[in-house]
Amino acid sequence: MPEPKPKSSKPIIELADVYKEYIVGTVSTMALKGVNFKVYEGEVVAIMGPSGSGKTTLLNMIGLLDRPTKGNVFFDGIDVSKLNDNILANLRNTKLGFVFQTFNLVNRLSVFENIELPLIPKGIPRRVRAEMVKEALARAGGEESWLRKKPNQLSGGQQQRVAIARAIVGKPIVVLADEPTGNLDRGSAKMVVETFLNLNKSGHTIIVVTHDPEVANCTEKIYVIRDGEITGEFAPNKAESLINK
Amino acid sequence: MLADFFRLSLKALSERRTRAALTIIGIAIGPLVLVMMSSVVGSYSNYIEERITSLGQNAIAVFPTENYQLDEEDLSYIRTINTISRAEPFYNTQGILKRGSEDLKVSIFAVDYDLLFDAIGSLQIREGSVPSESNIIYSIIGRKIAYKDNEKYFGLEDILTVTIPKIEGGKITGKKTVNVVAGAILEEYGGALIVDPDSTVFMCLEAGRRLLGLNKWSGILVLVSDPADVKPTVSALRQHYEEKVQIIAFSSIAEAISSVTGAINFINFSTSLSAFAVAVAGVAATMITSVMERTREIGVMKAIGYKSSQILLMILLESIVMSLVGGTAGISMGVAGAYVLSSQGFTIGGIGESGLTLQLNPLITPALIIQTLSLTMLIGLIGGVLPAYRASKIPPVVALRYE
Repeated sequence: MPEPKPKSSKPIIELADVYKEYIVGTVSTMALKGVNFKVYEGEVVAIMGPSGSGKTTLLNMIGLLDRPTKGNVFFDGIDVSKLNDNILANLRNTKLGFVFQTFNLVNRLSVFENIELPLIPKGIPRRVRAEMVKEALARAGGEESWLRKKPNQLSGGQQQRVAIARAIVGKPIVVLADEPTGNLDRGSAKMVVETFLNLNKSGHTIIVVTHDPEVANCTEKIYVIRDGEITGEFAPNKAESLINK
Repeated sequence: MLADFFRLSLKALSERRTRAALTIIGIAIGPLVLVMMSSVVGSYSNYIEERITSLGQNAIAVFPTENYQLDEEDLSYIRTINTISRAEPFYNTQGILKRGSEDLKVSIFAVDYDLLFDAIGSLQIREGSVPSESNIIYSIIGRKIAYKDNEKYFGLEDILTVTIPKIEGGKITGKKTVNVVAGAILEEYGGALIVDPDSTVFMCLEAGRRLLGLNKWSGILVLVSDPADVKPTVSALRQHYEEKVQIIAFSSIAEAISSVTGAINFINFSTSLSAFAVAVAGVAATMITSVMERTREIGVMKAIGYKSSQILLMILLESIVMSLVGGTAGISMGVAGAYVLSSQGFTIGGIGESGLTLQLNPLITPALIIQTLSLTMLIGLIGGVLPAYRASKIPPVVALRYE
């Protein structure tokens, strides 16, 4: 299991002239238009933009969940655009962690079982998994007493911590978060952002898609996307003005 | 990993337990019917075939038709057929035996004793010994004649009084009472289907003419050297006699019964298959609904690194688990049902006064259980494969957007 690496000058993710076109019936929509984008190992970056600007499509490309219509996506120097589904699944399982706005926890499973889900395809024995789950939950700011509970017995903030634990339990290089504070109150949102920053300190690369300027201002770099194009790379503390621009 | 997938499948089923339970009930009907009917039909058909087979696979009975009389000339001809090892005539009539205040309907066979024991191999003497052929008043009696409800009524050397029809010129002209001595008592034979030794008085051939007053042979009992010679011998006899005689080969009866029971088994299997087909539809419907409800969850699984084949396996395991539970429940209920059904007994009419009632344990074999369980598992596979395949092919991005 690779441990998260320290910051480096090597891009862990690179999108080169990426286009993504969706065709529904006879209507074609270009969600990404020649996007060029790099994230370096150990960075914490935010992607901002208004609704329908292509933020989630961009995150799906970065997260190897979708393929570009045109252009190339590189992960750790490898062009992953043409790799088969099984290799992509393996990369997602070992190198990436996902956090969603609506947590996407499985309510019939316990917190423990939710967190251990990414470890099952790796074939890690249950005894080892138990240790990894406890460690991940602690790093995500969760408590061991939650492990036997069902997700719907926890608050929104607690559920998001469980989702973060699930994202990091496999010790991924990159953690991708899609509006992670969108369903949380301010207090919970603050704790979640702090958790991401702590994870970054321990070496994880963090990419956050957000509407929230306060969240974006906590990152090192902000990318703004409008109408499928990256309009620029900005320093933090400008998020408020960027989103309202 | 498979154990984890199995556990996740069980959890998924337990979340939708009412729907899963109803599907399991639907699945259970097929194995229930198959095990119950196959085991009951199997036990009866095995028993009947065994009984028929015990009559001797190399024995042939030749009966004259109404307008024909068998005589020494026929016997000589039959003996000249080179496949035949022995041929002897026999007399047969029905009689009423006085047993206390009871009138018991019995069959009386006057036949060469050696030939009788050769033809019905499983016939055994319980008490006494086979009387000599010259001792015409001595007989061998069946178990049901000697015993009434397991209580012995006639012993060795006891005299039995039998009333038989008096036949003159081919017509019944009155009654005739004869006394015979019990020289031997047979072991219980069980329900025979063509002859019923338990309710028969066997006498030597000479007794038929001299004691019973029968002057026409009822038939000629033939033994061939090899069971494989039965068919050519029957053909030769039919060719010679055409419509003058009726020829019955016990092996042919066994074959015919085997064909009938085979057909019954096939019909039963086909009927069960209908239940299995309904189960396939039930499993498919349940799994399609389940997959639709869990599309987003499948998207999350794919996002965190589950391969399509692993999603397919996980969904398929759910339908297989349902089939396994349904199959086990159905087989268990089928076994219980088979015992209940068997306990009712099965009566074959036309044998004895009230027919022959068989009460047998169902024939539940490991092969039947394994075949039924395999078939049920196949149902799970067939019903689950399409929904599982569809689930595995949903692109993760589409699945994550699913509301």
